[in-house]
Amino acid sequence: MARAILATPTVESLRSNNARSRRIVDKIATAALWGAASTIVLMLILFVVYLFVQGYSAISWHFLTGYPSAANAGGGVGPEIFNSFYILFLTLCFTLPIAVLAGVFIQEYAGPGRFRDMVEFSAESLATVPSIVMGLFGLIVFVQLFHWHFTALGGALTLTLLNLPAMMRVTQQALASVPQTYREASMGLGATKWQTVLRAILPSAIGPLTTGVVLVSGRIFGETAALIFTAGASVSYGASAYDFNPFHTAETLAVHLYSTHREALVPDADQIANGSALVLLVMVLVFNVVARVLGRQLTVRLTGKA
Amino acid sequence: MVGVRANKAHRDERVALGFLMSSSAIFVLAIVLILAFLAYNGTLLFWQDHVSPLTFLFGTDWDGFGGQFGAAPFIIGSLVATGFAILVGGPLGVAIGLFFSELAPKRVAETFKPAIEVLVGIPSIVYGWLGLTLLVPFIARTFHAEGDGLLAAGIVLSIMILPTVISLSEDALRVVPNSLREGSAALGATRWETMSRVLVPAAASGLAVAVILGVARAIGETLAVQLVLGNAAVVPKSLLAPAAALTSEIVMDMGDAPEHSAFRHALFSMALLLLLIAMGLITLIHLALRRRTT
Amino acid sequence: MMVETPETRSPSLRSKMKIDDLNVYYGAFHAIKRANLDVPDRRVMALIGPSGCGKSTFIRALNRMHDLTPGARVTGTVTLDGNDIYAQGVDPVTVRHRIGMVFQRPNPFPKSIFENVVYGPKIHGEHNGKRLQEICEKSLHAAALWDEVKDRLNRSALDLSGGQQQRLCIARVLAVEPEVILMDEPASALDPIATSKIEDLIGELKKDYTVVIVTHSMQQAARISDFTTFFLLGDLIEVGTTSDIFTRPTDKRTEDYITGRYG
Repeated sequence: MARAILATPTVESLRSNNARSRRIVDKIATAALWGAASTIVLMLILFVVYLFVQGYSAISWHFLTGYPSAANAGGGVGPEIFNSFYILFLTLCFTLPIAVLAGVFIQEYAGPGRFRDMVEFSAESLATVPSIVMGLFGLIVFVQLFHWHFTALGGALTLTLLNLPAMMRVTQQALASVPQTYREASMGLGATKWQTVLRAILPSAIGPLTTGVVLVSGRIFGETAALIFTAGASVSYGASAYDFNPFHTAETLAVHLYSTHREALVPDADQIANGSALVLLVMVLVFNVVARVLGRQLTVRLTGKA
Repeated sequence: MVGVRANKAHRDERVALGFLMSSSAIFVLAIVLILAFLAYNGTLLFWQDHVSPLTFLFGTDWDGFGGQFGAAPFIIGSLVATGFAILVGGPLGVAIGLFFSELAPKRVAETFKPAIEVLVGIPSIVYGWLGLTLLVPFIARTFHAEGDGLLAAGIVLSIMILPTVISLSEDALRVVPNSLREGSAALGATRWETMSRVLVPAAASGLAVAVILGVARAIGETLAVQLVLGNAAVVPKSLLAPAAALTSEIVMDMGDAPEHSAFRHALFSMALLLLLIAMGLITLIHLALRRRTT
Repeated sequence: MMVETPETRSPSLRSKMKIDDLNVYYGAFHAIKRANLDVPDRRVMALIGPSGCGKSTFIRALNRMHDLTPGARVTGTVTLDGNDIYAQGVDPVTVRHRIGMVFQRPNPFPKSIFENVVYGPKIHGEHNGKRLQEICEKSLHAAALWDEVKDRLNRSALDLSGGQQQRLCIARVLAVEPEVILMDEPASALDPIATSKIEDLIGELKKDYTVVIVTHSMQQAARISDFTTFFLLGDLIEVGTTSDIFTRPTDKRTEDYITGRYG
């Protein structure tokens, strides 16, 4: 019966027609997927070129190190750049120990159970809290409740909450990349679990861990919405551009780009915004390159593995 | 001697476990505190300032100082912009995920992947600035309109959610067992047929998670949207008319709304609404993943 | 099920370890069924049997490596010098300190050769640099690796050949001065020359250590061991001196295996 149908000439020609059109559809689809993926890269190139063209004339030594100006043209972003790094540093001081320890707990210690489920669910939930909502939480706690006003510390603590999940995931992935045999070897030599983690697993994971940490740092550097109402949108006019007091207002470069656009009185606001956007972009590129190079170097240096 | 050493190692082990567990507990504590503080501050508007939740959710009149707290324009703005982003960025992201998991030669993947990493790293304020100075004038010229509005916001968001959707869909597609690819190919299916009829359905729950996390990123996005929306507190009449979103309105008004005022409380309510949406999306993800395991 | 005959208990030597009624389960799977065995002091005991017979599962029960496997459960007693290593309050870490293990594939840490060898001593509290140097040299000598690596102790262990890596792993175990060394097919990933070096080394080691070795090669068991135990499908079938097992096994199943009737 089946053979009889297959033998019918019309069906035969249908089949070959069909095969040709299917091949064409396949070709078109393949081309479309290649096109879509290339668009991403072209878009990135467009962004980078555009920001460079717009912003490079704004960049000067004075712009990168000078004070912002309230009303006149020619203001710089020195304190803002410093604050960005300072808040990043404070944030890492809180985030790294907590997230790495929690990552070790989840990945190496915790068996399946309610506590692990709870921690993982909390991490996922924290990861989806929008940064503006986190910013308002920081405002409620650090500004309204603690009466700190806008401070670098309040901003850093808010960013800590925002980035704990990403740091924990980075840690988990780095630990997961360590072969099981290292754990067995270490335990087989009579090491305790903690000794194994500290001396065998973490050193072997240092490359991917560093890459992940630097990439997340790049995101912390550019964070804006969570900082406007916690660290503030103005710089503190202390003795110098470099104000280490964590209880002072600390506008970062990303927040400065926002506030310049929003409310600046200076005539060259667009110019400053273009310059700030370019500096932010360059920093993202630097963080990405550093993450890769440093991660590879550390892996080679500490493990002798290419 | 060994006994003493072993005791010390044991004490270290217990101390370490204490640190590990308390660090983990911070995660739980953090999310509980965030929920509690926002639940409290986000409902002050209703039980202290006596604004009806229905007025807040469905009212269309917004005047912070004038005591009008209808947030519907912002809710609609957020939903439309996010919906646009998902309709454009969702399929595009899944398609590019397919490209990386099924088509891309190793060399191509190695050059394209870092580009995506960089796109993730670009701060949202810079996306906003690009949108404002590059996209808005383009839309204005093309449609002879103001340029800022939901269309601009939707396009910016589509681009911003791409990295999330791409990498998660790639992961979801990669875990589909090879036997399915081989089985489909052995039946005479073309590569595209295998992708569209076998792989995508097989990875459906993972792809759903990718898109849902894209929604989460889009709905919570603030500055990129604020810069290109035009910030008009009215129900938008078209994609080209100025509008506002929950996030952008919070950032616009928060600096002006005095502490303890109904105005500020209304903004907290909007933040609470965003938080509830985020929690709802997390729950959705768990449902999608549970379907995969059963 | 198993009848106690003189052959199932090994001959009259001082026993280093005694295994009684040992059962291992992976979830619902009964992987080792009521095994009894005496391990004589300072001799080489080979565990043989077709793949999947449970010999690796058995050897991992001897230093509580199953504690690390989720879902694995062990019952029965395993004594070391008369003390049950599974008794309540016994620290698995101390157990593994006294009963070292060499794994199927060489698994050096991604550290220098020196750091690999002194990993155990450091963990157990030795921080004196000179002492560590001595331990390192002594262990590498004992593992017959010293002459090959003495000029590059600070190079990565991953640069060594597979056979050298495995001898390094043995040196690493020797450095913690265990009493028993368990080896789980230590030569299965190595070429014939490297294998023969490991075999020579095992012959040396039994002067000071009790060695239990899992091997898939009957020839290897015959070459290096004093006693041989045969496993089949989770059952310990027979144990005896190696020459007895290979020339006049008492159990039909052992004979079938020796003569090549199982894979």
